[in-house]
Amino acid sequence: MTPEEVLARLDAPLSLRRRVGYLALAFTGLTASALIGLLWATEPGLPTRTNVAFAVLVAIGLCWAVFGGWAVTRRAPLFARDRVVAGWLGIAAWLAFGVGALAISLLRHELEPALLGVVLLLGAVAALNLRAARRTRAALLRRRSELAGQATGNR
Amino acid sequence: MSDELLVVRCQLGEREAFAELVQGWHPAVERYVGRMLGGSDDDVVQEIWLAVFKGLPKLRQPERFTPWLFIIARRAVMNRLRDAYARPEPEPVDDLPGADEAEEVVNRETLAGALAALPAREREVLLLFHLEDQPLDACAQICGVPVGTVKSRLNRARRLLRHELVRKGYEA
Repeated sequence: MTPEEVLARLDAPLSLRRRVGYLALAFTGLTASALIGLLWATEPGLPTRTNVAFAVLVAIGLCWAVFGGWAVTRRAPLFARDRVVAGWLGIAAWLAFGVGALAISLLRHELEPALLGVVLLLGAVAALNLRAARRTRAALLRRRSELAGQATGNR
Repeated sequence: MSDELLVVRCQLGEREAFAELVQGWHPAVERYVGRMLGGSDDDVVQEIWLAVFKGLPKLRQPERFTPWLFIIARRAVMNRLRDAYARPEPEPVDDLPGADEAEEVVNRETLAGALAALPAREREVLLLFHLEDQPLDACAQICGVPVGTVKSRLNRARRLLRHELVRKGYEA
C-alpha cells in the first residue's frame, strides 16, 4: 500500500466539511430539541397524543445530537482549528436557543427567572468553550512558529 | 522539517501536514507490520494510520511522536498476534558466548529474513532496536516493559537469531 492509498482511504475522516457537518448536526439537534422541549413544558393541558408527539420530536433531536457528538469524538476527531469552529457553532446554537426561549417566554407573557438563568449559564459555557479552543490553537500556533524558526535557523 | 513541527501542524488541522506525516512514516510502519506479521497486511497498516489520525489531537508531547506511533502500531500488530503474545514468556537464558557475532556478520536484509522465525516478543525488540534505530528507553516505552526487560529480550533475541542463522547455514 502506498502513502497515497493510505491518504485516499482516510479521505472521509480527514474531510473538514464532514467534521463541520457533524458539529452542525449535533448543535441543530440539541437546539431544536431544547426549544421543542421548552414549548412542550410551557404548554398546559395537552392531550396525550400531543404529549407523545412532543416526546418523539425531542427524542429525534437528541438522537441527532448524540450521533453528531459520537462522530466528532470517535469517527472524525476535532483538531485545534475544528475546535474553534465548534466553539463558534456553540455560540450560534446558544444564540438561537436564547432568542427562541425569549420569544416563547414573551408569547406566554411571562419571563421565568429559572429559564433566564439556564440561558445565561449555557452562554457562559459556550463562551468558555470558545475561549479554551482559541487558547489551545494560539498555543499551537506559537509552538509552530518557534519550531519553524528553529528549522530556519538550523539551515 | 522536524516530526514535532509536522505533528503540531497536524494538531492545528493542516491536512497537507498529515499527508507529509504519512509520506514520511508510512515506510517504517509498513516495514514494522510486515516484519512482525511475516508479510504485508494493508488492513493493519490502515488501522494504524486511522488510530494515529484519531489520537493526534490528544497527543500531549508532539516531540515523543515516534514512540507513540510505534505503541499504536504495536497494539494493532498485537491484536493480530494475540495468540503468540498470550503464551507465557520463557525464562531468561544467559547469553551464549559469541552471541553478538551474528549481529555483526549479517546484513539487514538477511536479518529481516531470519526474524520471521523468532517469537513475537523477541522479534519486536530486535526490529525496534536494530532496524528502526529506536533507543532502549523508547523500546521500553513502546513495549510497555522496563529497560532491563528490553535488554534481556534483546539478548535472548540475538541468541535465538544466531541459532536461526546457523540453522540456515550462515555460520561461516
